[in-house]
Amino acid sequence: MTGASFGLEGVSVRFDAFPALSDVDLRIDAGEAVALVGPSGSGKTTLLRLLNGTVRPSAGAVRVDGERLDEVSRRRLRDIRSRLGFVPQDLALVPNLRVVQNVLSGRLGRWSFLGAARALLAPPRALVREVHALLDRVGVAEKLYQRTDRLSGGQRQRVAVARALFQEPSGLLADEPVSSVDPARARDTVRLLTELSSERRITLVMSLHNLELARAAFPRLVGLRRGRVVFDAPSDDVPAGAFEALYDLTTEELLGDGA
Amino acid sequence: MTAPELPRRPPAVGVRGLTLLLLLVAGALSYEGLGLTAAGLWPNEGGLAVAREFFGRALTPAWTSEARFVPPGTPPLLLDALGAAGRTVLYAAAAMSLALVIGVVLGFLASSSWWTLGERRGIGRTVTGALWFVARAVIAAMRSIHELLWAVLLLAAMGLSDLAALVAIALPYGGTLAKIFSELIDEAPRDAGEALRGAGAPALSVFTFALVPRAAPDMIAYTFYRFECALRSSAVLGFFGFPTLGLELRQSFRSTNYGEVWTYLYVLIALVIVFDWWSGRLRRRLVTT
Repeated sequence: MTGASFGLEGVSVRFDAFPALSDVDLRIDAGEAVALVGPSGSGKTTLLRLLNGTVRPSAGAVRVDGERLDEVSRRRLRDIRSRLGFVPQDLALVPNLRVVQNVLSGRLGRWSFLGAARALLAPPRALVREVHALLDRVGVAEKLYQRTDRLSGGQRQRVAVARALFQEPSGLLADEPVSSVDPARARDTVRLLTELSSERRITLVMSLHNLELARAAFPRLVGLRRGRVVFDAPSDDVPAGAFEALYDLTTEELLGDGA
Repeated sequence: MTAPELPRRPPAVGVRGLTLLLLLVAGALSYEGLGLTAAGLWPNEGGLAVAREFFGRALTPAWTSEARFVPPGTPPLLLDALGAAGRTVLYAAAAMSLALVIGVVLGFLASSSWWTLGERRGIGRTVTGALWFVARAVIAAMRSIHELLWAVLLLAAMGLSDLAALVAIALPYGGTLAKIFSELIDEAPRDAGEALRGAGAPALSVFTFALVPRAAPDMIAYTFYRFECALRSSAVLGFFGFPTLGLELRQSFRSTNYGEVWTYLYVLIALVIVFDWWSGRLRRRLVTT
């Protein structure tokens, strides 16, 4: 299995009058690990959501493995999505289901309705073993049958990662998955994701606020500011001043972003 | 340097406040429209005597039959009351199980989540939109007719069959369950649903396994509450001749055996209290495991 590749060609996204992204060109090759950095409102989430087609571009083209997302059928779009794991900022787990059910639901895209009903209500042993092994890999194996809302923030992150991995994805999109936990927990989870990415050859695109963490964990950084790519370079080549420039917004710009 | 101009202050009484005020005024005017006066509250002498006699028995319900002639073979009063209570539960349970099926199916069709999740466009969107509209209309029709009115209609059509009583309760209850279910599902957080949508899950699976579970605790709680209402409705349907507590109540009331009336009333109250206690326990266990 090889990782997914992504391409943005002259992509702009407008939400009503607000330009979330303006004329972005970006290539992410199979197996790469890329961190998106930038202040709130710079377009990181929008960019990630373009990559799995949950946000449509107002102009330009988005390609996954060479296919233009706006030209494929609904059926094909679902197939593409089922190979792209997504770990959103709020994790988006179902709190009153068990951990095993949340992880199993990662594969809903490949199951028929009846197959999904069977898998979630009375999962075959082989599937449960698979889930258990994944939970073990992310470090929460003993939580298999716990209700998800009984878990700590860090444990829930791991469940969200396991759900995305259970998709057997070729690409993993993570939207600031560590913004709600302490720095040590954040570092562990980011390390886990980069390790998994190289060990399973999954293309990883993650948005991050923590610049040191991004620089330490990712070989390539893409800096966004007000919907534009400001830099796109190997981590070691990004000068420290570039980060400051990214976050140093004037009052006028802040007001503009807040709109 | 001058301070920036102060933003305009919002009005003290907005449109919502004004609407509420108008509703209150309308409520007051309706008394005027009905010609109600405070003096009308006072009953006449005859009515007062009946009320005194009836409420006078509240603390001394009958333990045995008060009828002047009791046919041989009649079960004792308390056994009779328990039997009627049992049948009341039976009618309510049967009606609720039918209402639940109606509520789940129509609630699903009437929720806006399932068809917006589909990201359908063109003809697919038109079809799902039409289904949604029809489901909403059917629900409105079922709910706007009270179960007693349904009972009158169904009795005329089907005669005094148990099925008539069952359907009479199930139709308005099914409609109400469907309306509340669809609202609970639409109001449940959609984060998990959208994440799974992004992972390629089909709309029906997302709806069933991400949206419904989040709404499920409230759906269960509401269903139990409706079951309690169904117990009352089932009792009242006895007034049409179905063998529930209402039938016994009517007969005792007609024969002015007020002690018996109170016996049946206390059995009904006990029934509702016991059900409330039991459903509360069951609900906690269902929701927290």
